[in-house]
Amino acid sequence: MRYSMRGVAILLGSAMAAGLLTGCASSGAEEGGGELRILANITPVLTKQYYENLVQPWVAQNKGVKVTIEVPSAEDVQATLQQELASGDVPDIVASNLDPVVAPQLLAFPEEDWVLDTPLVQENKVGGKIWQVATGAQIQSLVFYNKKAFADAGIDGPPASLEEFTQDLKALKKAGYLPLQTAGEWVTGAQFAMLANPQLLGSGDFYAQRNAGTATFAASPYKNYLDAYAGWIADGLVDRDALGLKYQDSIDGFTSGKAATYVIGNWIVPSIDEAAPSFDVGVFAAPSLDGRPAGQLGGPAQPYSILQASKHKDLALSLVKYLVSDKTAVTASLASEGNFRQEHPYKGSPLNQQVAAIHDAAPRLVLGTSGPTIPGGFGDELNKQVQALYVGTAPAKAAAALDSWWDLNAG
Amino acid sequence: MPASNTRAGAAGAAPATRRVRGARLDLLTDTVMIAPALALVTLFVLVPIAIAVYLSLTNWDGFTIPPSWVGTRNYERLVQDPEVLRAAGFTAVIAVVGTIACNALGLGIAVLLNRSNRVTTVMRVLVFSPYVIGPVILGFLWASILGSNGAVNALLTGFGVERLPFLADPVWATATTVVVIIWASFGVNVVLYLAGLQTIDASLLEAAVIDGAGPWQTFWRVKLPVLAPTVTLNVVLAAIGLLRVYELVLALTAGGPAGATQTSVFTILTTSFSRSQLGYGAAQSVVLMIAIIAMTVVVTQLRRRGEQAVAA
Repeated sequence: MRYSMRGVAILLGSAMAAGLLTGCASSGAEEGGGELRILANITPVLTKQYYENLVQPWVAQNKGVKVTIEVPSAEDVQATLQQELASGDVPDIVASNLDPVVAPQLLAFPEEDWVLDTPLVQENKVGGKIWQVATGAQIQSLVFYNKKAFADAGIDGPPASLEEFTQDLKALKKAGYLPLQTAGEWVTGAQFAMLANPQLLGSGDFYAQRNAGTATFAASPYKNYLDAYAGWIADGLVDRDALGLKYQDSIDGFTSGKAATYVIGNWIVPSIDEAAPSFDVGVFAAPSLDGRPAGQLGGPAQPYSILQASKHKDLALSLVKYLVSDKTAVTASLASEGNFRQEHPYKGSPLNQQVAAIHDAAPRLVLGTSGPTIPGGFGDELNKQVQALYVGTAPAKAAAALDSWWDLNAG
Repeated sequence: MPASNTRAGAAGAAPATRRVRGARLDLLTDTVMIAPALALVTLFVLVPIAIAVYLSLTNWDGFTIPPSWVGTRNYERLVQDPEVLRAAGFTAVIAVVGTIACNALGLGIAVLLNRSNRVTTVMRVLVFSPYVIGPVILGFLWASILGSNGAVNALLTGFGVERLPFLADPVWATATTVVVIIWASFGVNVVLYLAGLQTIDASLLEAAVIDGAGPWQTFWRVKLPVLAPTVTLNVVLAAIGLLRVYELVLALTAGGPAGATQTSVFTILTTSFSRSQLGYGAAQSVVLMIAIIAMTVVVTQLRRRGEQAVAA
């Protein structure tokens, strides 16, 4: 039988196109007792080695149990978990913040003391179910700054309002510094949310109002912050090529002394302390629109969830209990990112203590870009629209695009 | 009926019966031989396609069983979704520019390397190596070279030249991504063209030389026509591969800046898994699959004339 090259090509094309659709078809949960798989959020601080060291004492107490740390294979932990759920090949434990959309797939933690003592446990319930337990709490609406740069620019105190912050950034530029350190990847949108969300959510649950159709991004505080951000780009107060930088580049840019300010969560403190910059680092709460103290974007730090499909639920529960309640494990976790937890004090650095003071003074904690009332992927879309400002998109158009996206993806 | 005719008829009927039996036996043999492959194709290709088509008509979130039927709503949505349309446009650019470039480079370099010596052996390995290394590693590698703080910009600023926004500006990032994808892909085309060149009958080339043809004429009038089936295969394979690009983009730009380098597969995976809209993602997959099949058919039909000319 003879086949033409054309026939082979068509067959190949069809088969490879079909391959696109078969990617989700594989399955096969891992057998083999005594092995726990942890899908973990990996960062410059929370490395694979960090998790391995963290679980090592528990492994030593549980002979014959092997713990494997898995790195996300997709964009992030959330996307990786959802791919694994679709394929049926799931880990036992997830060590990361997750979108509540996956809560039905996760084990309900028992309402025992060790669970109820974890931070934000009540606030994080979905439908009354405790689906993740945190090691600590974190805050993110923080502006770390180079004290020498502020002195060089003649700035005598941290700004309270967005307008004052913009004026300070201009002064820092005149003093020869890159005023505000940003980066591409997820950093652009995350920094924006850290600055703007306390104001967005300061007077109630904006996201619920947006779902009800009684509020829009175009007429929200986001518009004010988008206007301010576009002004920073136009005035050269941020690096116009910042979208070509990775997250680690932004850390290096600040700790090298080149950039004067850096908006980021408290987890950066150990990295700054380790880098031991040649200048003093200070920190202040993100400025508000009117200069009055706003809340802090915050949430659970280093949380853990257990998959309902886990074949080793008891072992997984035992390990998670150890991670969120053992004094040594909790202290190591808190110190790794400078997180907080009552009744688990640890000796932090001076910078860590400054952050703790801001944490204690914050009038409230507000949500980030994921939660029960927020469509999945909103954080990515916010990131995209903030990045669009760098290429000349008008703030009003970016805000309108957020509304369009919400309408298309909500419900 | 005369006896002789009867005998002749019987004699004629016997071979006919044998032919029918033979044909039936051939059919049975063919069926038995093809059955395992057919079963595998059905199980691993046709059934998943059917499932994907079904899911594309639902609003499945990946968890809720059974999914809710939404009819053609996902398809109506995707033709209005600016993100999907922009990703489709970028993917089309990658496929068209990449297919032309991969084949032009692949054929050109294959002709240059179609001789045996140490230099060409080393060059073949070097040219093919990006294809072997893997897209994720290549993506991170090029990001560290072309990022705003990357090696190239460090060199430029070292010489007092302003940085170039390879990955920071949407237009630059689009061009950079296409070039890196081509660089990472064309090695396999070189290998396929080399294999094709080495099957050309030496007597054809000798005859061309005797007839006074120069290297350029030999290439256009002899080598290229003989390579027609190889060209078809290369064009189809390159286009299919380029329409499915994902990992390299994820590692190089993560779809940025401002979503400028999101490909169709990138959008499918983001929609399906980051947003828990597997039904909508399945609809995008089905459309991409149809586009790939249509492209394959069109390309092979267009190439048919060239191949027929060679055969004649």
